[in-house]
Amino acid sequence: MSCKPGELCHEGVLRRRALAILGLMAIIFLALSAASFVDSRGQVVPTTITYAGHDAVAGKRVFQAYNCMGCHTIVGNGAYLGPDLTKLYDKAGPAWIEAFLPSAGNWPTSAAVKLQLQNKAVAAEAGVDTIEAYLEKYPAAAERISRRGGHATLMPNLPFSRDEVGELVAFLKYTSRMNTEGWPPVPKVDGLAFPQAKPIPLAAQPASVTAASLSTGAAQPASGAALGEALAKDNGCTACHAPTREKLVGPGWGGLYGSTVTLADGSSVVADDAYLTEKILKPDAKVVAGYEAGVMPSFAEMLDAGQIAAIVAYIRSLEGRKP
Amino acid sequence: MIRIEYQTQRLSLRFFLVMLVLFFFQTGLGLMLAAQHIDPTLLAGTLNFNIVRTQHLNLAIFWVLSGFIATILFVGPLLSKRELAAPWLIKFLFYALLAVVAWNLATQILAQQGIAGWWMGQPLLQEGLEYLEAGRIADVVILIGFAILCYVVLRTFPPLSRWNEIHWGLGLGVLALTAVWMFGLFFVERLDLQEYFRWYVVHYWVEGVWEVIHISLVGFLLVLMFKADIKAVGYAVFWGISLVWLSGLLGNAHHYFWIGTPEFWQFWGSLFSALEPLPLIFCFWHIYLDAHQDAKPIPNMPAFAFLLGSVVLEQVGAGILGFTMTFALTNVWSHGTWVTASHAHLALFGTFGMLGLAAAYYAVPLMRGIERFDQRAGRLSFWLVFTGMLGLGFAFAIGGTIQVFVYRTLGLDWFGGDVAPAMQVTKILVPIFGIVFAAGVCLLVFDLLTLGHRRPVVSNVPEPIAASGEFATRTRWSNWMTGWEAGLWLLAMWVFGGIITLGLLSFNLETVRQGSAVFPYMMAGVGYPGLLLVTLFFVWRFLNSLEARSQASLGLAVAASPAPAGAS
Repeated sequence: MSCKPGELCHEGVLRRRALAILGLMAIIFLALSAASFVDSRGQVVPTTITYAGHDAVAGKRVFQAYNCMGCHTIVGNGAYLGPDLTKLYDKAGPAWIEAFLPSAGNWPTSAAVKLQLQNKAVAAEAGVDTIEAYLEKYPAAAERISRRGGHATLMPNLPFSRDEVGELVAFLKYTSRMNTEGWPPVPKVDGLAFPQAKPIPLAAQPASVTAASLSTGAAQPASGAALGEALAKDNGCTACHAPTREKLVGPGWGGLYGSTVTLADGSSVVADDAYLTEKILKPDAKVVAGYEAGVMPSFAEMLDAGQIAAIVAYIRSLEGRKP
Repeated sequence: MIRIEYQTQRLSLRFFLVMLVLFFFQTGLGLMLAAQHIDPTLLAGTLNFNIVRTQHLNLAIFWVLSGFIATILFVGPLLSKRELAAPWLIKFLFYALLAVVAWNLATQILAQQGIAGWWMGQPLLQEGLEYLEAGRIADVVILIGFAILCYVVLRTFPPLSRWNEIHWGLGLGVLALTAVWMFGLFFVERLDLQEYFRWYVVHYWVEGVWEVIHISLVGFLLVLMFKADIKAVGYAVFWGISLVWLSGLLGNAHHYFWIGTPEFWQFWGSLFSALEPLPLIFCFWHIYLDAHQDAKPIPNMPAFAFLLGSVVLEQVGAGILGFTMTFALTNVWSHGTWVTASHAHLALFGTFGMLGLAAAYYAVPLMRGIERFDQRAGRLSFWLVFTGMLGLGFAFAIGGTIQVFVYRTLGLDWFGGDVAPAMQVTKILVPIFGIVFAAGVCLLVFDLLTLGHRRPVVSNVPEPIAASGEFATRTRWSNWMTGWEAGLWLLAMWVFGGIITLGLLSFNLETVRQGSAVFPYMMAGVGYPGLLLVTLFFVWRFLNSLEARSQASLGLAVAASPAPAGAS
């Protein structure tokens, strides 16, 4: 092993050789590194990706600012509390992510995703403009809606602004376009057929108000408020608005009706039928103090006058219960 | 027992104490994370999981660095035969360390509001990259701190011509520590390029710099504890470091498999990082040789236990568990799952954490002028911490194997609905072993903080030698350990490591891809418990054998011991 005094010793030669090999390895490493980032490789770069006018680099800044890596993985690096986000855009599509992010505490319903498709920019990015075509094109969105839609998630609501949501989607669009050399591996089986995929108990499934049941009136709830409650759930309103005074993403509905609301411009207004109807149709016409414009979408294309009246009736029925 | 010759050695005491306090809080945060994994709604919105995890990671880095700084300051004067240079800078470094820890604690919470403090394109307050979460302000303060450390070390050391391998190891170590840190000081737009440079810091710190400092410090602590020949240790230090760099430089490629860099990295990464255990086997072998080069009793058993734990967990956590997931064909499955958490906990705490604790157990009694101390708390805490950490590694590994199957093979990606429920049992095992670990940490921190300050237990103050007299009967567990036997233990560890590797590899089999978990679950069920139990029993055997020679030297139950196996 080591040199004893007086012994013939090749230690110095060996050591110099080891250092020479190390130098060779450093050269190999640098050469490989240089070859990794040349343009001719065709790897996608974020400066070339935009989503509905948002920039993927800005999205990366948002991704870091919220420390998304502290719960999720991206290209497999990060924490293991939530799923990997690298290919989410490819699987679930932009409309589903747009519906999810502002009220991350709740899984989007079909109507909430459909609502996002009303936005021409989102529909253009998705490549489809009907919910049926969307769910066919993005099966992961269909699976998420059917298994989880309307339920609470395990993610906290985060205070994303309208722009931040768009930028994050742009970043996820960029990552899903990246060539990650086949990772994550594509499953060869349909996991939903396995016992590990827990079926949702029927009792927990959200009450569904379909267009058919409304028109025939067969399953129509007795009072307007009850219909409004079902509509609110089905259209994803409750993902942001609690039936209490609690603020989830938007203001809680408990005790809202008839109260005086202070607007961002300093004026105040009474929350009556006309005000609430206007909020549902044109949410940014009057912005409430402490809230940001653009977070709530317009339901003008989604709900007819009767349905809006039912939802307003439901809000009217909610006393100001403490959360 | 040596006496403190150089007064500036005492400056290391405050760093040791800070290390212990940070370690205590980091363990508490770990328990909190375990609880949040079981119920993710716990404190959601108040103190989100990512904030707690960030602190858990950052405090781990801070306390390991505190341990390094403390140990370097303690051995610096001994290596140089003179006082440390610029003691006032060291005092400044200490307050800078406290300030940066507090600042980072305060700024990380801003991630809940998405505030990074962007200024000229740089995140000043926090930057949300795993391990490098500290914002640019903290980054720069840390860089200054490293520069101070370099200055102190290099000014204290004798002229270059009189450097031995340990000087070279530490000198290059602190310089590289500073140099590598600079790759984390820039916002990078491309995700692949950012991950490429992020691993410069993380991988080259751990496998290039920390390991070099680790080898040098373990070497010198062995010189101090066993009066081992500094030439022989220097030989081991040189080749240890060379092997670390020869394998680790290109071994970094194992982080470049799936981040968007080209496929050729899979070849280089699989090949060279498979060599990364070599220096660890080498170190493992040397601690056996150095501990057995004479048959003298060991006066400070807790210090040696932690040093042994450090080298053994380096072998098991970094060497073997790292090896199992280093091939592209196994890594494609383990990547991004709890399987990697098992490796990370054993390797990081084991290798670097235990070294700091060993050095603290060695240096704190000396600095407090305690000739003999009650070693029972130290030993008990070692066993609690050691078994707790092995248990944590087991829980993460089994949970990770289930996660790979459910998440990757079946493609179920609903963590709340499908993945987490499948892992539920192991998610509960984590805090159970975590509590064992935390109990050890509380005992250890209390013991070291109050050593020499609390009243000795009057009834039974076991002197180190008398303490081992309790082992009146010698069992086969306490026979002299031969080199053959140590080799057999090592072989057994690697056999189980091989089983684990085949288990991860079996995820590629067509039957597994078609939804049968029998192979991977069986292999993991044999491999992980086997490896961790062999590790536990090996350390038990090693320490028993060393305790027994204290008796032998006292003339209690002297049995014919074979001569020490080939000293270096």
